[in-house]
Amino acid sequence: MISVLRKIALLTAKDLRIEARSRQTLGLVIVLGVLIIVVLGLGLGMQASAAGYGATAVLWVAYVFGGVLCFEKTMAVERQDGALAALLAAPVDRGIIFAGKLLSNLVLVFALAAVVTPAAIVLFDFDLSAAPGSFAIVTGLSMLGFASVGTLFAAATSSSRLQGGLLAMLVFPICLPVVIASTRMLLGIFRDGKALGGDSLSVLVAFDVVYLVVSWLAFERLLEP
Amino acid sequence: MRIEEIITFLFAERLIQAFQAAVVRAVVRWWRIIVIAYVVTFVASTAAALWMMFFYAPVEATMGPIQKMFYVHLPFAINAFLACLAAFVGGVGFLWQRRMVWDDLSSAAAKVAALTCTVVLITGMIWGRYAWGKWWDWSPRLTFSLLLWLLYVVYLILRPSIESRQRRAAVCAVYAVAAFLDVPLVYLSSKLMPDIHPPSIALPALEMRLTLAAWFVPVTLLTAGLVVAFMRASRRARGRADAANADAAWSLSESEPTRP
Repeated sequence: MISVLRKIALLTAKDLRIEARSRQTLGLVIVLGVLIIVVLGLGLGMQASAAGYGATAVLWVAYVFGGVLCFEKTMAVERQDGALAALLAAPVDRGIIFAGKLLSNLVLVFALAAVVTPAAIVLFDFDLSAAPGSFAIVTGLSMLGFASVGTLFAAATSSSRLQGGLLAMLVFPICLPVVIASTRMLLGIFRDGKALGGDSLSVLVAFDVVYLVVSWLAFERLLEP
Repeated sequence: MRIEEIITFLFAERLIQAFQAAVVRAVVRWWRIIVIAYVVTFVASTAAALWMMFFYAPVEATMGPIQKMFYVHLPFAINAFLACLAAFVGGVGFLWQRRMVWDDLSSAAAKVAALTCTVVLITGMIWGRYAWGKWWDWSPRLTFSLLLWLLYVVYLILRPSIESRQRRAAVCAVYAVAAFLDVPLVYLSSKLMPDIHPPSIALPALEMRLTLAAWFVPVTLLTAGLVVAFMRASRRARGRADAANADAAWSLSESEPTRP
């Protein structure tokens, strides 16, 4: 068990080290996320921005677009110089490779959220102080499902002709149920003043379990050098 | 495993194989008759369903003639679910056995799912225009139905974008499995959440119920027929591609310079 965890940590650290040295993905997705929030804020107009609650949906647009770029970039790194072939030749189970990729994607998406969420709070006058813990739990659980599907299909599309556009097209509709559930829950918490209940959370946990299991099972069949 | 169990297992395996071979032989032998019977049944059941819809079933008191759209809407919706299920089964089958026949089934069923979902959405929108006074409402059932259509349209775009046949089949199989996760959401959405779409509709008259039952026959025949037709088309296209590749490889080997 410790050996498995160590391998996952090694793979995640490798991806994050590459990102720390190149500084390509995170800078790009953070700027993109902020741009999306600014553009949507301008497009929705003063009234919608002042209402505050629109921030929950706007944030998810930023997370989803930025997240897809993260997934694509972390997999594109493996395609350079035959790194993926070497990784597959290593005595590492493909489920461990999936877990490593998922963790590095999650770190990147959470880093994106850490910058983009304060921007939305300021620009949309969104009062997060009402339930910051519930916001973190709902967003975190939703991002886990989103990242697991994104990691799976990033591996699938990295060698196709359409690549980036195709990945977005595949991931968006499959993740929409999670996004819809998450935005509805956040609206219920912040607009209607509902407490985060076990029923709502169990829906998100069920989505996460299904997405994680399907992605983990399918990943090894899709990963090819 | 004991010797009796091994014998039973082998016998069962052989029995299944023999049964499969017998079915295939019978289908090949009686193919023309099957096709003729299918076409005759389809045309007759469609004519009967149309006649029942327009002349046999009474006009509903509240909604008027537009209620007859329901007889088409529900069978297509059920068949859309069945087509999604067939795409899912094909996907799981391919990932399990890596046989191209499963990929043929999955791709054919996904095409039919996209088609039937389109009919469901169009008939539903026409119904909604008269029942609710608007073409569209962002209610859970309608939203997840639109999402289901989008998923299978994306599947159709996904297929030609991957060149390698095995890789295309693997990616599409995984996608078909993931896309099927939306089907329970469509079914359960109006039962579990407040929705403008009714969870179930009770038809008051026996004529209405019979008409609805009559519409299931041509729609199910159409769905099954299209899946089989698309599967055959995929198999033929694969055969042609294999033949072209073999020709290209042969001509390449012919044109290679020989050593003196």
